[in-house]
Amino acid sequence: MEGILAIWQRDLTKFFRDKARLFGSFTMPILFLLIFGGGMSGTMENMMTGSMGAAGGAEFNYVEFVFPGIVAMTLLMTSIFSALSIIEDKDFGYMKEILVSPISRVSIAVGKMLGAATVATIQGIILFILIPLIGLSYDYMALLQVIPFMFLLGSALSGLGLLFASFIRSTQGFQMTVQILVMPMIFLSGALFPVNNMPAWMDFIVKINPITYGVDVMKKIMIDLEGVSPVVREAMGLDLMVFGRQVSVFEEILFILGFAVLLVLLATLSFRRANA
Amino acid sequence: MAPVISVHDLRKTYKKLDAVKSINFEVEEGEIFGFLGPNGAGKSTTINMICTMLAPSEGSIMINGFDVKKQKNKVRESIGIIFQENTLDEKLTANENLMLHCRFYQVPKDKREQRIQEVLEIVDLVGQRKDRVETFSGGMKRRLEIARGLLHYPKVLFLDEPTVGLDPQTRAHLWEYILKLKEKEGITMFLTTHYLDEAEISDRVAIMDQGEIIAIDSPSALKGQLGGDIIELSTEDNQKALEEIHDKIDGAEVSLKDDTIHLKVSSSDVFISSIIKTLNIPITKLNIRKPTLNDVFLAFTGRKIGESDES
Ligand SMILES: Nc1ncnc2c1ncn2[C@@H]1O[C@H](COP(=O)(O)OP(=O)(O)OP(=O)(O)O)[C@@H](O)[C@H]1O
Ligand SMILES: [Mg+2]
Repeated sequence: MEGILAIWQRDLTKFFRDKARLFGSFTMPILFLLIFGGGMSGTMENMMTGSMGAAGGAEFNYVEFVFPGIVAMTLLMTSIFSALSIIEDKDFGYMKEILVSPISRVSIAVGKMLGAATVATIQGIILFILIPLIGLSYDYMALLQVIPFMFLLGSALSGLGLLFASFIRSTQGFQMTVQILVMPMIFLSGALFPVNNMPAWMDFIVKINPITYGVDVMKKIMIDLEGVSPVVREAMGLDLMVFGRQVSVFEEILFILGFAVLLVLLATLSFRRANA
Repeated sequence: MAPVISVHDLRKTYKKLDAVKSINFEVEEGEIFGFLGPNGAGKSTTINMICTMLAPSEGSIMINGFDVKKQKNKVRESIGIIFQENTLDEKLTANENLMLHCRFYQVPKDKREQRIQEVLEIVDLVGQRKDRVETFSGGMKRRLEIARGLLHYPKVLFLDEPTVGLDPQTRAHLWEYILKLKEKEGITMFLTTHYLDEAEISDRVAIMDQGEIIAIDSPSALKGQLGGDIIELSTEDNQKALEEIHDKIDGAEVSLKDDTIHLKVSSSDVFISSIIKTLNIPITKLNIRKPTLNDVFLAFTGRKIGESDES
């Protein structure tokens, strides 16, 4: 337990101490929000009006739709990139100090995962400050409720980062792989635009993509569903179906939890290999 | 008394290369045990296997009564290690590095403060406690690593080339600290080096070459095996001098290496006078000395320790 805490605290200390990273972490999400929230909202709303007819289109607020998506996207980026600290630790030798100590290998993986998830959640929360500035209003309670879920999603995605980091030796290799993987994961998740009416193979990717469920849960918690007409609800992609059945928020959370646990176990195995 | 470390038929094979070829040795409690060998001899590979960081291809290792294969955590609790490469977190302060170590090794909370102070005193870094490690010199970093390795009172401290990359003065200082430690704490120490003078502080030395231990004994016994003194001699015509020595002088082991004739003799006093009397070739350089571990290495492998196979 103490080992987990120590590893977690070290990563947080280093995050707050690294001024460049701290600054970057503020600017990146804001940039996304400007591009997707400000720049693209007109285009997207026009497109939606075309497909739904004027009545529904008027009601569709793209910024409201995309905001939770951008928070999820920020979580994904930060979580996975925080796992880069593992590769750094290997490069700078500190990983040996950790591995030669009697901390259990599970604790190492969990500590690293929670560290990355915490950093990611902090960045997500920073985005909340922008809510009034882009003319949105969310329910206070909804925002408070979504934070623990953001942490869970961050943990799952950090687990994914850990797994990459255990296979890939170099920083460059890691960044390449992540970029190749992250973009499709975001585009095929419903984070930035609804993923209705996709071709079958794409729909399959959407359904196995953990981000899909993460984004969906975040939208369901944050957007006031009662006040949205069924047409818009459908257009926003909020009626997520798997195997012809609508999935509940509870099932989605369970799925993400399972995903996180599986990844942390895999990461543990990689730490257990004697020469990791 | 049971040995603290015992290694049996330990072997490590990387794809094609046999880095460590079936070595055996034991280390007694409280001993300073030195591993001496040239680059690539397999010293680090051996240490890493003993410290649970590398899986052996074959063989068994026991430390402090625990099996390195089966009781990794018990072994990890029993040892401290200073790796060949730097493993400090340079973005953190000395204190933070030490505190993390205490937490990794579950040093009781109420003892941490006192132990950190204690180890910092041993390595003379009390004043730098709150400084970031990135502002430290190479020697200070090395000392901090040694301090960190001691925090959890390990039974055995491993030091893989603790003085590599340091200037001679800092090296000498570091060895003072290490010897002080042995006196104060009675810790068993396992060290590797390719500096011969450093190996001399060991109670016993294992000489390693190309994955094999070729000799293992106390430095004085190893040097004693060579017998007597060493005379180094240069003349205006070494080849001719060599012949003359062969013809006229008995009881010396003679070899020629790099413009110098080496004579291994039981007592230099007798030989010097007879050499000076018998040799008709002018002597340009003459040097008499006691054997060093380098001579031991030379005697076992036919090479000096810094030389590679090809030369
Ligand atoms: N991961 C590895 N894969 C393949 N070969 C390796 C690996 N690590 C070490 N070796 C080889 O094993 C041999 C022994 O290396 P080792 O690091 O144990 O030597 P050493 O005695 O510590 O040398 P040095 O004095 O340079 O530290 C070398 O020939 C090295 O090239
Ligand atoms: Mg080495």
